[in-house]
Amino acid sequence: MRVSLTVNGRHRTADDVWEGESLLYVLRERLGLPGSKNACEQGECGSCTVYLDGLPVCACLVAAGQAESREVRTVEGLAGDGRLDPVQEAFTECGAVQCGFCTPGLVVQAHDLLNRTPRPTDAQIREALAGNLCRCTGYEKILDAVRLAATRKAATP
Amino acid sequence: MKTEARPSVGAALERVEGVEKVTGRARYAYENFPDELAYAVPVQATVARGTVLAADVDAVVRLPGVIAAVWHGNAPRLAPADNAELAVLQSDRVSYRGQYVAVVVAETLQCAREAARLLRIDYDAEPHDVELRADHPEMYRPDRVNAGYPADTELGDPDAALAAAPVLVDATYRTPAEHNNPMEPHATVAVWSGDGLTLHDSTQGVSALRETIAPLFGMPPENVRVISPHVGGGFGSKGAALPPVVLAALAAKHAGRPVKLAVTRQQMFAVTGYRTPTIQRVRLGADTGGRLTAIVHEAFEQSSRLREFAEQTTTPTRVMYAAPDRRTAHRLVRLDVPTPAWMRAPGEAPGMFALESAMDELAVACGIDPVELRIRNEPAAEPESGLPFSSRNLVACLREGARRFGWAGRDPTPAARTRGRMLVGTGVAASTYPVYRRPSRASARCDPDDRFTVRIAAADIGTGARTILTQVAADALRVTPDRVRVEVGDTALPAASLAGGSAGTASWGTAVVRACEALLEELDRRGGDVPAEGLEATADTAEEVGEQPEYARHAFGAQFAEVGVDLDTGEARVLRLLGVFAAGRIVNPVTARSQFVGGMTMGMSMALLEESVMDHEFGDYLNHDLAQYHVPTAMDLPDVQAYWIEEDDPHLNPLGAKGIGEIGIVGTAAAVANAVHHATGVRVRDLPIRLDKLVR
Amino acid sequence: MTMDFLRPATWAEALEAKAERPGAVPVQGGTDVMVELNFDVRRPDALLDLNRVAALGEWSAEEDGRLRVGAGVTYARLIAELGDRLPGLAQAARTVGSPQIRNRGTVGGNLGAASPAGDGHPPLLAAGAEIEVESAARGVRMIPAEEFYLGVKRSALEPDELIRAFWTRPAGGPQYFSKVGTRNAMVIAVCSFALALHPAERRAGTGIGSAAPTPRRAVAAEEFLAAELDWDTGRLDPGLPRRFGELAAGAASPIDDVRGTAAYRRHAVAVLARRTLTWAWHDLWAAGPHEGPHDGPRGRVRRPGGPVAPGDPGDPEKPRREAG
Repeated sequence: MRVSLTVNGRHRTADDVWEGESLLYVLRERLGLPGSKNACEQGECGSCTVYLDGLPVCACLVAAGQAESREVRTVEGLAGDGRLDPVQEAFTECGAVQCGFCTPGLVVQAHDLLNRTPRPTDAQIREALAGNLCRCTGYEKILDAVRLAATRKAATP
Repeated sequence: MKTEARPSVGAALERVEGVEKVTGRARYAYENFPDELAYAVPVQATVARGTVLAADVDAVVRLPGVIAAVWHGNAPRLAPADNAELAVLQSDRVSYRGQYVAVVVAETLQCAREAARLLRIDYDAEPHDVELRADHPEMYRPDRVNAGYPADTELGDPDAALAAAPVLVDATYRTPAEHNNPMEPHATVAVWSGDGLTLHDSTQGVSALRETIAPLFGMPPENVRVISPHVGGGFGSKGAALPPVVLAALAAKHAGRPVKLAVTRQQMFAVTGYRTPTIQRVRLGADTGGRLTAIVHEAFEQSSRLREFAEQTTTPTRVMYAAPDRRTAHRLVRLDVPTPAWMRAPGEAPGMFALESAMDELAVACGIDPVELRIRNEPAAEPESGLPFSSRNLVACLREGARRFGWAGRDPTPAARTRGRMLVGTGVAASTYPVYRRPSRASARCDPDDRFTVRIAAADIGTGARTILTQVAADALRVTPDRVRVEVGDTALPAASLAGGSAGTASWGTAVVRACEALLEELDRRGGDVPAEGLEATADTAEEVGEQPEYARHAFGAQFAEVGVDLDTGEARVLRLLGVFAAGRIVNPVTARSQFVGGMTMGMSMALLEESVMDHEFGDYLNHDLAQYHVPTAMDLPDVQAYWIEEDDPHLNPLGAKGIGEIGIVGTAAAVANAVHHATGVRVRDLPIRLDKLVR
Repeated sequence: MTMDFLRPATWAEALEAKAERPGAVPVQGGTDVMVELNFDVRRPDALLDLNRVAALGEWSAEEDGRLRVGAGVTYARLIAELGDRLPGLAQAARTVGSPQIRNRGTVGGNLGAASPAGDGHPPLLAAGAEIEVESAARGVRMIPAEEFYLGVKRSALEPDELIRAFWTRPAGGPQYFSKVGTRNAMVIAVCSFALALHPAERRAGTGIGSAAPTPRRAVAAEEFLAAELDWDTGRLDPGLPRRFGELAAGAASPIDDVRGTAAYRRHAVAVLARRTLTWAWHDLWAAGPHEGPHDGPRGRVRRPGGPVAPGDPGDPEKPRREAG
């Protein structure tokens, strides 16, 4: 089947999509957007987190057809005007990135957290990121990064 | 053209590929799309032992979109391999459930998956044996254990010393099978062109992979190129060549098309290695003052029918404590199970759980503080070899950790403290990890624009190798790191050792330093003039590494844990972890801290969560996905801190670095288990410390 | 190899599609169905996407005083929009998966999957909810939650039916959901328990999760509470929660599995039952015995599993080691 949707502000169409296919597969294999990662295919790790109509979801659990005519924003669409988003900036600065495989999902999820809760407490950060597994860092520097990004965002209206 | 720069080693240089990773631009193995690409989906054995009688490949190749279906009956022949795991589709034998018995190649992933699902395979199943028991009649002593250590060692008369000891600890500990579960599942894109093979593979060592794959396909190594710029973690599981990469290359060859093959998370539990379960008996004899007179540590482990992988579980006991009479031993049984392999600190991680739990039991038995007990048994030289330590700062780690953790004045009475609904307690354990260094090559190049390029086929699996090698090169070249570009992860670069054994920095760092030194010499000879075509120098550290003087080289550390255990449900949570490490010179404090903290978190996970449960009826690991195989989330460890002791060890390598990738996990599980005992009075000797073990 | 992707725009279209294609698998948040597809556990001949049926995403207060909550209302919306009226269910919803899962997953999907470990089930049982299902041929059926679950992943839903909504009264008293797990988040319950006090009727409802082939009520425990709780003075006999726990555990018929032993589960159900009762009763009478039971909704969030943080105000239980 054909699936048409908006991805990172651009209208995109994918043809010959298998009906049981996930949005994640469409993004990675058909639309040239492999930034969202495939690591568990069951919504347990958050590596494939993308915005679907403004809400972060696991793209592996969205049937491709369910994304028809909807708006998707991936990690590739966060940086604007050649500038990193404050969350991306903070992740690199704080050393929150190791192998980088969980990073895209975490960046999207943290981005959403700061949009909804500009000055989150540590507990709120941990709860928001609880569905994004990282096997490398032990999360400490990821928390640092989210705190830093929150501070930066608060300072720039 | 030379400028003096402030030393970069020791500074917190930002990860050089950070921006690529946070923007989603970093390309991992599966994210390569060569022309004419096809998808390969493996078929796994549904019996744990037996033979494949038939595979109806003809039926599935008739399905629309299917290009090829391969099983041992029609598979390209591979040259014999030392490691029988790599003889993929070469025989009709099934040695474990989940072993690859066929592969389907199709135009789309969906076609391939559907065909793989429909492919009918007939087996002659045989009864299987998948249960590790210490008294298994087929237990044997391997010739050597992993990393080349002898299987058994003995000094003095440990049995007599144990019999005479005023205080005796005799306990059996068990650790479960655990799966590495890096976030990126193993993946390969295999492209043949003529008699050349290109592999985009998720690997911890492109050079080693090439050396293994090329002869399997009857080719010289130079016909194989392995490209792996970014690797989504490995923790050992991507260290050695595994069946998936062989299957991908074989499927591509048979189909005459480039193929991509992604191992699914579930398949990883059968075909990408795991930490062997262990049964360990530790006996400690001591005087009433806690001074050890005898140490006996015996380990029982499993491997598969295909390959002898004997983990070096008791080797840390050869290093840790002084005692005149001592024995270590490894026994192995070959079962109808998947092949175990490296997982972060193979040997040290399970071995030190047992030894450091036993030390805690000894501290309790002697009524001595467990920090003090360890200090009392500090050896002057490596206990078994007698070699001097290049440096050993375990005592400093214990003291510094105790100070930072607030250990002083600890009441040793178990089950005596509550906080709300929790029983709380604290525990300590030591950690150790050997310092390895392996031969590597590197090149350093200067261009007329005064920019430098360092090339080495190293792997950055998330450790920060690319970043720290940039720092190392900058210092060796006496320039700022922004003028240095380091290229890794490609066999087109000078061959290097794999990322394993916490040896990356020492091995690759030595080669990078030597290459940079050679380049500077050449530049000096030319009076600093860089020719238009640039200038390049290379180094090979085989000789230097081979000739290093004999020392006992090890990193040490001390782990402190505070736990809370729900009084009624038995739910145990780690409230605080603090580690202090002596690991030589720290090249980058940010990447290093994350390595330590990440290792400690995995150790906490080993203590409380991780367990691959063998299904005895079917013969495979039952909880084979991330919904059932639990690793910690951001909510599971509120407070982890890592510190290090400044260590200046001249006997290591030009960097004075010991390697930090693995020591963080070593000892953590024992510290947690010891804290659980302090909290509850319950000594859990079999990991993980599941809630039902605390309410029995 | 083909699979159809059906996209009804309205409820009527959805029912028609399901009538024509009883083998079509409804997909709403995808948190169960897509896992089965991704893992190749099943290949239905059609997927019935319900995302476009706007009515499923709505909830309303009905004339009989009950709430009718559409099967497509996500956990996240349930927490945000109905947390005050359905505190027990909201507590359970907070423990479901991750924020990403709660943005997609629904109670309706939980019902459709009918997993014994589904977190939504115990609060529905405790509250006495009814499930509204409908088919094009036979119209609407109202199924009490306790009759809905028939076996492991089997429900009373007929092949041509779809789940339209669940109906439940806004909480008339304190409600609690508690579960035991190995982690602090992303936990499949080792076992769970929900309690709802119904002071106006002087009784309590219960629901047990992950400790039997289906979610189920602890009927004898409920009868015990109805008979023994002192609704007039609020006095709580110290032995009463313990006996309640024992009866609740008696209603469980757990198995040994990867997550825990049967014996442990029975023990933990007793603990959770005792705790939720103590919390709920404490809340009910927190304003003092003279005022009698409150009518308003009660209940605080309990994190799934994990020891309560130091100084947690909601824990009136003294530290005490369980026997057994």
